[in-house]
Amino acid sequence: MIYFDSAATTLQKPLAVAQVAAKAVNAYASPGRGGHPAAMAAAAVAYQCRVAAGELLGVSDPDRVIFTCNATHALNIAIASLVSPGDTVVVSGWEHNAVTRPLKALGAKVKVARGLLFDPQSILADFEMLVTPEVKCVICTQCSNVFGMVLPIEALAALCRDRGVPLIVDASQSAGCLPVDLEGWGAAFVAMPGHKGLYGPQGTGLLLCGADRAVKPLLLGGTGSASLSQEMPDFLPDRLEAGTHNIPGISGLLEGIRFVAKKRPEVILSHERKLLAMAREGLSQIPGVELFCDPLGQNQTGVLSLRIHTMDCEEAAQWLGDHAVAVRAGLHCAPLAHETVGTLDTGTVRLSFSAFNTPREVERFLNLMERMARKR
Amino acid sequence: MVYYLIICRSLTYAQRTSAVLERVGITAHIMRTPRAIAGEGCSHGVKVSQRRLPEALVALNRAGLSPKRVFIMEADGSYQEVRL
Repeated sequence: MIYFDSAATTLQKPLAVAQVAAKAVNAYASPGRGGHPAAMAAAAVAYQCRVAAGELLGVSDPDRVIFTCNATHALNIAIASLVSPGDTVVVSGWEHNAVTRPLKALGAKVKVARGLLFDPQSILADFEMLVTPEVKCVICTQCSNVFGMVLPIEALAALCRDRGVPLIVDASQSAGCLPVDLEGWGAAFVAMPGHKGLYGPQGTGLLLCGADRAVKPLLLGGTGSASLSQEMPDFLPDRLEAGTHNIPGISGLLEGIRFVAKKRPEVILSHERKLLAMAREGLSQIPGVELFCDPLGQNQTGVLSLRIHTMDCEEAAQWLGDHAVAVRAGLHCAPLAHETVGTLDTGTVRLSFSAFNTPREVERFLNLMERMARKR
Repeated sequence: MVYYLIICRSLTYAQRTSAVLERVGITAHIMRTPRAIAGEGCSHGVKVSQRRLPEALVALNRAGLSPKRVFIMEADGSYQEVRL
């Protein structure tokens, strides 16, 4: 199978990821629950993962690297910590339902900084207009999961610092291929999955917490610390990590992070962009295919959305799936992004590359697309 | 053997404490805090030898880490809190 759905989850992982996860099932117990070797081995792996993640993602204090189940879980904690019912929040026009649904449930007043596709300055200009004194929080993805567009997070972070508004960054599509820097940005929170660009197993995620930030736990329970108190501990990471950790997942995530750190995010991005350029060149020769691409290529990662004018996006993805190419079609859990671009009625077919894809796979995909075009 | 036990607010904090000490050549073993001195309930501490405590405290101070409390384990197995 040719797997071009890494924006959902990277399926091809470094070999060590599955090896250490399998080892952890039988060899590692629960961190903080016992002083025996199996518990302490689990604790050591969790700590190494916090340190490795902190080094890659700009967090000097491992206490502020929180393990979550996924990016959605991390975003829910961040949003619950900063937003109260009725608060005004500014989000980009490129957010995932993992941001918009919690805000809707909280009854927040949401203002949307849309801007234009592949025009970061226009998005920043909208934020500059909308981040006014009553705004309690700004939430922005670093990269659109639908279009691969890179958003101007560094400039937005500077704007938020200037105006004293806390910033939540969704790094779901950027961690592992773009620079992520919690402390450099001065962000309140940065959320990400472990199972995408960090090449960890599904069921892993990270929440990076800014210094001196009050946090609201979503899950209450045992932490292996301060057990006499019936309140959650007031210190991190324990405050946000009730219950037994996913140690097989964390073990695998550690190996995924080590893989990314060794290969380097900029090298992975460059590889994915080369594949994207190749796909773009080939697809642009096929009549009836509409591509959503950054003309300059600088503001796009290895994610490419397209429409086929005579074919429904889901049917196209199904046809490709039947021919052993995995892509994702539809709205990608991001109706707001589709609304911003004007693709809400049709959806798109999305290709998303990883460090493990090859030019040969892109060639085979392009051959299939030509066959598909001839059949229509 | 007489040793000092540096009590930490969390397991991760104990791991940070241990890492700082190991980096400067001080053997620092993480252990569960004995129930008699655990105060608020389960916690972790870092065990250092009797003669290394002063330099351990200097290293921790340099790293910006503050021990919650420090106990000395006496020869009879009892613990006494050390005033820093």
